[in-house]
Amino acid sequence: MQPASAVHDYFAVFGLPRKLAIDTSALERSFYKLSRKLHPDLYARASAGEQQWSLDQTSLLNDAYRTLRNPVSRTEYLLKLEGKPVASEEQAPQGDKPKDSRAPADMLEEVFELNMQLEEMRMNRKMGEDDPSLRGDLEKARTQFEGQLADLDEELKTHWQQWDAAVDAGATERTEQVKDKMFALLDRRRYIRNLVRDVNDALGA
Amino acid sequence: MAYSDKVIDHYNNPRNVGQLDKSSETVGTGLVGAPECGDVMRLQIRVNPETQVIEEAKFKTFGCGSAIASSSLATEWVKGKTVEEALQIKNTDIVKELALPPVKIHCSVLAEDAIRAAIGDWKKKNGVAETEAATQTVAAQ
Repeated sequence: MQPASAVHDYFAVFGLPRKLAIDTSALERSFYKLSRKLHPDLYARASAGEQQWSLDQTSLLNDAYRTLRNPVSRTEYLLKLEGKPVASEEQAPQGDKPKDSRAPADMLEEVFELNMQLEEMRMNRKMGEDDPSLRGDLEKARTQFEGQLADLDEELKTHWQQWDAAVDAGATERTEQVKDKMFALLDRRRYIRNLVRDVNDALGA
Repeated sequence: MAYSDKVIDHYNNPRNVGQLDKSSETVGTGLVGAPECGDVMRLQIRVNPETQVIEEAKFKTFGCGSAIASSSLATEWVKGKTVEEALQIKNTDIVKELALPPVKIHCSVLAEDAIRAAIGDWKKKNGVAETEAATQTVAAQ
């Protein structure tokens, strides 16, 4: 039996290469199969060491499955493995100027305008008023941003294919380029996801 | 996480909230954002064409208390300075003044970026040559 620490890479847990276009139903089948094999109940009469191993492996398997089945967390995880961790508020750059934290410039105007409308809506609500035309604008904005989110998810899939092809070809330069593209896309996606969330909050959805 | 008294003061009584006429020749506008937290910050300056002194500064920030305090402080600090003096303001000065914790340092970076972007915009409008310090921000826009 192997020690639990032998495998840390979530792709390797499933015996997969570090590629992104994953068949999620195959992943699910694989997850259930491995779960059954590793289940702590099977080790009820095993040594304490083996019981611990089964627990550790099961928890690793669960983390791996949760991370890989979701398109965004899978991509973020791969970027982290490949030395390009996506920024989060907890790990936001400290001290020095961050190199990669600039917002997509073309989005800023849009984001700013939307925030102005959201603020107006909240103020109206506080005063007990509801401005139907403002609500209409926000509903339009929501539809638009949800559409953008869907478009980005489609675009992400084409990046996956480029990544997988570059990995197969061993083209290091191309993998670097695709990493940058995915990184930028996820940045943009996070912005839009926040906007959708804020619009939904304001509309009381 | 507890905010410092200075952050709370700026948050509750933000200085210079508002808007200047974006199309005016004497106004520079900087719009910046931080994807990691979704903050957006607009900082505007009105510059005296004769003296290059920043006579008025306004901001509007959507973000956390630290982002609002950082931009509020930034408008206070740039007022009365020449554009070249204002470019000397560093995010670390803001961190010190507001006693920002490490996780909020990016808010101060954003405020510094906003100052540079506003000055860069004003320079572009007025055909003033870029100093090296400002070029970086303008190129990134």
